Amino acid sequence: MARVKASRSCETAELVSAYLDGQLLPGELDTVVAHLGECADCIEEFHRLKEIRAALRTLPFLEMPERLLPDTHLGEQLSAYLDGQLDTSEHDFVISHLDFCTDCRLELHELDSARTAIRSLPGLEPPEFLTVHQERIKRERWTRRRVVAAGVGIAAAAAFAFGILGPTNESGDLDITPLFDQHQARVSVDAGFNVIPAFAPAGDSP
Amino acid sequence: MADERTPTWEDVARVYGRKIYNFAYRLTGNPDDAADLVQEVLLRVRKGLGSYTPGSFDGWLWRITRNAFLDGVRKQKRRPTSPLPEDDRNVLATSPSPDEVLASVRLSEDIQSALLKLPLDFRECVVLCDVVGLTYEEIAEAIESPVGTVRSRIHRGRKMLRELLTWPV
Repeated sequence: MARVKASRSCETAELVSAYLDGQLLPGELDTVVAHLGECADCIEEFHRLKEIRAALRTLPFLEMPERLLPDTHLGEQLSAYLDGQLDTSEHDFVISHLDFCTDCRLELHELDSARTAIRSLPGLEPPEFLTVHQERIKRERWTRRRVVAAGVGIAAAAAFAFGILGPTNESGDLDITPLFDQHQARVSVDAGFNVIPAFAPAGDSP
Repeated sequence: MADERTPTWEDVARVYGRKIYNFAYRLTGNPDDAADLVQEVLLRVRKGLGSYTPGSFDGWLWRITRNAFLDGVRKQKRRPTSPLPEDDRNVLATSPSPDEVLASVRLSEDIQSALLKLPLDFRECVVLCDVVGLTYEEIAEAIESPVGTVRSRIHRGRKMLRELLTWPV
């Protein structure tokens, strides 16, 4: 195993990595550069650290497993985007997503084609038989409504008339007293005449 | 990513997912643990985005990532010592020359196994710097330590790595 006999005694040794990374604080650069010019150990350390830093940075940057990626395809947002129906934040999100998502760009293109095709269809008149049929249905409905309305009117008029002429008391309840009086009147007439009762009592039949 | 706009969870997954995965993989040496960490981080990000105050998003995200990693380590109570899994080989198999492929795989294996021998404090600083590409200041924010500590850990971590690696470059 290789040994680093680095400048353990040098106070500036620890700055060598920061120097390599361009992360020195203001004022430290001059110190480090001046020190490297005169310290062989730190020069050696500098080269070793540079080597390992380079090696670390050659590590492959691995792909993240696809299953970890969220399913963020735009879906119905694409149609809303085409129709200008997104609010500002959604619109920005769609734009940024389309920057990197080939699938969504393709889908957008297809939706746009379909939308254009649909919108280019000519406006058609309905067939004549359909128009005639519709007219007939309209007429029948109109007639039915007139009959019902007339019936309702007659019923309402009858109810009204009954309400005016009919036997009601002040409270609006049905008053049967006049009927009772008429019955009394008939009884009083019976006294002098032979009146055939409307209903023969049971057991009185000859 | 711009600090002034809070990214969505999907943005984080797309933009940072791969970096988080590589960070986790280099720290654990295990693709399954790395994938678990990505999922855990994304879950925490999703929960935390509501209360996130626009500022240094990277610092916030990497702090979450590091905490999730440390929680995982505490939970498992084991140090990751798995050998280099297939992933590296798969990625490198696209290199043109078989000799180069072999050399690269060996190099990656050597570095990965050396990384796993570093103390965790040093390992995370080296990985955040050399694999993820954060600045010292961003690392300091992520690990909630002063920049001086970060600088020292990166330097000492690299020195240890160099001692552990036997290959001449």
